[in-house]
Amino acid sequence: MTRLTGGLIDRTKPLNFTFNGASYQGFEGDTLASALLANGVQLMGRSFKYHRPRGVFSAGSEEPNAIVELRSGARQEPNTRATVAELFEGLTANSQNHVGPLHRDLLAVNDMFAPFFAAGFYYKTFMWPRAFWEKIYEPLIRNAAGLGKLSMLPDPDDYDKGFLHCDLLVIGAGAAGLSAALTAGRAGANVILADEDFALGGRLTMESDPLDGEDAQVWVAKVKAELESLANVRIMPRTTVFGVYDHGIYGAVERVSDHLLTPGDKVRQTLWRITAKQTVLAAGATERHIPFADNDRPGIMLAGAMRAYVNRWAAAPVKADNDAIAIFTNGDDGHRTALDLIAKGAKVLGVIDSRADAKALGSYEVFAGATVTGTKGRLGLKEIEITRGGKSTWHSVGALGVAGGWNPNVHLTSHHRGRPVWDESLLAFVPGQGGPKGLIPAGAAAGKGGTATAMADGMRAAIAALSELGMTANEIALPDAVDASQAQAAFWHVPGKKRAWVDFQNDVTVKDVKLAHQENMTPVEHLKRWTTLGMATDQGKTSNISALAVMAELTQKSIPETGTTIFRPPYTGVSLSVLGGGDTGPLFRPSRLTPTHHWAEAQGAEFVEVGPWMRAQYFPKAGEKTWRETVDREVLAVRSGVGLCDVTTLGKVDVQGADAGEFLNRVYANMIGTLKVGMVRYGLMLREDGHLYDDGTCARMAEDHYVVTTTTANAGAVYRNMEFYHQCVWPELDVQLISTTDAWAQIAVAGPKSRELLTRLVDDFDLSNEAFPFMACSDLTICGGLRARLFRISFSGELAYEIAVPARYGHALMERLMEKGADLGATPYGTEALAVLRIEKGHAAGAELNGQTTAQMLGLGKMVSAKKDSVGAIMSRREGMGQDARRLVGLKPVDPTKQIMAGSHLFTEATAHTMETDQGWVTSSCYSPHVESYIALGYLENGDSRMGEIIVAANPLEGITLKAEVVSAHFVDPEGGRLRD
Amino acid sequence: MTDLTPITALGAAAPRVETFGALQIEENAGLALASLALRKGGNTPAPFGLTLPDVASAVSNGEIGAFWTGRGQWMVEAAGKSETDFAALLKAEAPECIVTEQTDGFVAFEVVSTQGGAPIEALMSKLLNIDPKTFGAGQAVRTGLEHMTVFLIRRSDEKLAVIGMRTLAGSLWHALAVAARRLED
Amino acid sequence: MLIPHPLLGLRDSQEFTYLGDASLMNRPDPSAPDAEAAFCDYVFLRNNPAGVHRELWFHEQGDRSWLIVTRNTVTHEILGAELATDVKLGGAQ
Repeated sequence: MTRLTGGLIDRTKPLNFTFNGASYQGFEGDTLASALLANGVQLMGRSFKYHRPRGVFSAGSEEPNAIVELRSGARQEPNTRATVAELFEGLTANSQNHVGPLHRDLLAVNDMFAPFFAAGFYYKTFMWPRAFWEKIYEPLIRNAAGLGKLSMLPDPDDYDKGFLHCDLLVIGAGAAGLSAALTAGRAGANVILADEDFALGGRLTMESDPLDGEDAQVWVAKVKAELESLANVRIMPRTTVFGVYDHGIYGAVERVSDHLLTPGDKVRQTLWRITAKQTVLAAGATERHIPFADNDRPGIMLAGAMRAYVNRWAAAPVKADNDAIAIFTNGDDGHRTALDLIAKGAKVLGVIDSRADAKALGSYEVFAGATVTGTKGRLGLKEIEITRGGKSTWHSVGALGVAGGWNPNVHLTSHHRGRPVWDESLLAFVPGQGGPKGLIPAGAAAGKGGTATAMADGMRAAIAALSELGMTANEIALPDAVDASQAQAAFWHVPGKKRAWVDFQNDVTVKDVKLAHQENMTPVEHLKRWTTLGMATDQGKTSNISALAVMAELTQKSIPETGTTIFRPPYTGVSLSVLGGGDTGPLFRPSRLTPTHHWAEAQGAEFVEVGPWMRAQYFPKAGEKTWRETVDREVLAVRSGVGLCDVTTLGKVDVQGADAGEFLNRVYANMIGTLKVGMVRYGLMLREDGHLYDDGTCARMAEDHYVVTTTTANAGAVYRNMEFYHQCVWPELDVQLISTTDAWAQIAVAGPKSRELLTRLVDDFDLSNEAFPFMACSDLTICGGLRARLFRISFSGELAYEIAVPARYGHALMERLMEKGADLGATPYGTEALAVLRIEKGHAAGAELNGQTTAQMLGLGKMVSAKKDSVGAIMSRREGMGQDARRLVGLKPVDPTKQIMAGSHLFTEATAHTMETDQGWVTSSCYSPHVESYIALGYLENGDSRMGEIIVAANPLEGITLKAEVVSAHFVDPEGGRLRD
Repeated sequence: MTDLTPITALGAAAPRVETFGALQIEENAGLALASLALRKGGNTPAPFGLTLPDVASAVSNGEIGAFWTGRGQWMVEAAGKSETDFAALLKAEAPECIVTEQTDGFVAFEVVSTQGGAPIEALMSKLLNIDPKTFGAGQAVRTGLEHMTVFLIRRSDEKLAVIGMRTLAGSLWHALAVAARRLED
Repeated sequence: MLIPHPLLGLRDSQEFTYLGDASLMNRPDPSAPDAEAAFCDYVFLRNNPAGVHRELWFHEQGDRSWLIVTRNTVTHEILGAELATDVKLGGAQ
């Protein structure tokens, strides 16, 4: 145990956990990393490429090394940073990326072959032979390289999403963030304060400096209590704001129950979309290191992280209490760590400071003008080599803190083409101009990192943000604080022959950067891709700037001349589950249910997804063995008796107004305005480019009232398109469009006995052919006074009607139709039979109106009125459109038992099957129980004059070639007598 | 009267009602709806004595209410009138206007809080990208909820009506119920 | 994105359906002698500026109004929004 005294852990709440099967104990307030350190565990993982033993390197979300698999079973989560994994009772974690036990990883052999794995290795090695990539190289590399493993089981937890709005979003609850939130909160603004940590305070929880002469936690607790008391402030711990989107929208993930063994009734995580009028970015800064030879041993970590472990978590970073700790620094910040370590009773070897004039700030030894030039200790640091003036000495240590300066967390400021700028006095990139609008960096994120400065800056930022909104915020009384000295010298890496790691997670060394330079991959974008620098899950938070500095040295340019690194969302990894944000499986998207859905369900119908709709596909009866058997029965029932089908899904738009007829004349290719009240017309809509867009019927219910139906698939688009013409092109017309698709339950009653059946339902309404002929429509009442609309239209080619009643009566109407039609053989039919019936009749549907076809091709060229303008009319007449000779035909296979697949292409017999000889294609196909043969529809060159010809339908994908006879597309009643009787 | 028996949008004989902590969600099957649109250049009527509301607002006289749905367009609603020909009644009140029966086009869910406005606003934050603080009593908008289009009416601090497409009633109930249940903890 | 609806204020862009260049409102005169050529331009040719662009958005999950939104396609800054009907009836382009 290397647990120290003090810290922000609750010693009354011990928590048991396991790491690689061994049991340990930590306390509430620990992270997995701090608890392991407190148990003397330094070795936490293996590196990505070389499988080098690694220990924890940081104390936050920037962690490159301590990457573990958390939990087990379906909840196993790979690539979790031990530094931000909050400890809970029963936590189980395993290190990843090793074969065999962690301390004897068999793949550590990769380290011996390191010379072969230099920068650009994959690009150079696996380029050839090309075919090897997918089958051999990639699986091998994937297996060896890497990351943790997925459980391959469905995620058992629920994820949620939500929307928040605020005047001011404060990102980060450290010194600057707390003062910003308090300033704005007191001013009455709606404030959201979000921090990725579970505790508020940021670095204030990790430093020893007092506020107002007391422990800083006293001030943090006071501020927290006040913020909690304000109804206009929402505090969101465990919430990472990961990206900035347009117009003040921020993406954030709240880890609702990641700190629990299982979420129980709660969701695991929530994805929040926060719309903020103004934002203060108080995201702090991330420490960088100084590469030197063998700098990746467990026990070597950032000096600021070391401070965090001893102060916040009372965890000494060594295996045993009496192990000495050294600090390697290029500035005063490293000395702070030494002071804090001494204050906590740790044994400090001294501070190795690259500056020749460095002085001790307390009672410890300073190696001024010295560097660390080597280390020993395979599974944990044992010795370091200190070199000063060409003389080297080895010293026994158990841990080494490295302080290379701090990089402001500018990530979110660069999400909108904002580019950080170099500040030579800080030796760091700070937020530049031109980032996201309304985002104000403050505190350490703005390069103003001293405690006093950060608090004042947070307050200033909040006042500025609120004044943008016309709100006045007053200055608040800030506690007495000091700015620790940030004096440092530009010292970026220790030159040497041995490998010095820059990017730990992706195993990129100074040598790799040099190689990239040698090979002319000097722009920072090339450097990244050639070496994979900064491309691991940590996105190079601790490495990018160091690599840039090394490259700058090599090219003898300044760092800003060499380049900047900018960042894309997300700031830290976001799980796909939370981005999915909710329901999965059948509930993944909303389903529209027809008014007879529950009835069909009770009949045992099979359903099919049709866009957002669930439609009855067919209604199997006991004893029917195949769907075909059912569909054939349903089709024949319609042809011989009467069938019932819910057709509510067709789009219905009520078009009303004095100019309704004129409007419809312009959107339909054919004439509609001449339609008599009480009649229906089939209509074609074109796109403005002259191609077919949609078809349907248009009924004139009254002088200034039409009901347009659209295809199911295009219902939304046609309605939108009609609104476009109404509002954007012809707004002078008096017309109103209202969708009534959901309002009416519409049932097709089709078959020779449909009139007889309907006669039994209507209230005193003459259904005779004379009174209510083909294509008639009317309002009426049925079943003792129920309002209804009746249309005599037919998709099947039989005598048929569509009857519409208020949707809530659809269910009862279907039951009544079945009951009254029992002796007539009334049969419900689904979408499959509907399709067979329309193919038999040669009616076009989606497959024929595929966006590339014309009215001429359907044989309906004459419907495009030449007497008027309408959408698409002009372009339908242009050269190449009007002359298209392909026509819709019917196809009957010579062998009636062979199905012609839709999508097959048509050829003249005895020709090669090429693009040049292509004669058309098959659009729809089915088995017709009426014809007792498979049949198909298709477009064929000059098809209307080729009746009786035998042609070839070829399906080269399946290797099927069939002979078929060209016939009329109307397999049923080509004269149309049935539907008119 | 017809001898056919209607079912609710959720497919049952009786409206569904369920309580989730401070929130109750009830299917308002009795609500009659009819849309009203002005003809080009037409004057704004005052059906049933209602002053038709301005942009994004709703009014009610207790029995009959109206909410703005677009420029020159409103939805007029009447509690407990779904079995009447409400469109015909409205047409009689506003003969110059275009009136369309909408009762069966929609499903209405009334969300009621027993603990003031906060639970309503918490529910909204899980489902709707509308700032509850700017959506007080008397406000009405149309927006998206889990990819479905809905009308929202803040009838009072404690009451929110969610009116969605009738054929999506099941999915809409699911979305509301799941969100309300998660607020119970 | 947030669209500043002229009547309803800032609205989530997810409520809208995007169409494209507002020049689609200027449907050519079908009776003009060069109607076919004019329609070819209208249907197939659009400017695709990197910068300020006037474009049509439909408030599908809202008041169902078509808007002309002036947007900088580079920065996504929105400079204004108008009701398409008003613009059309006002004769503005």
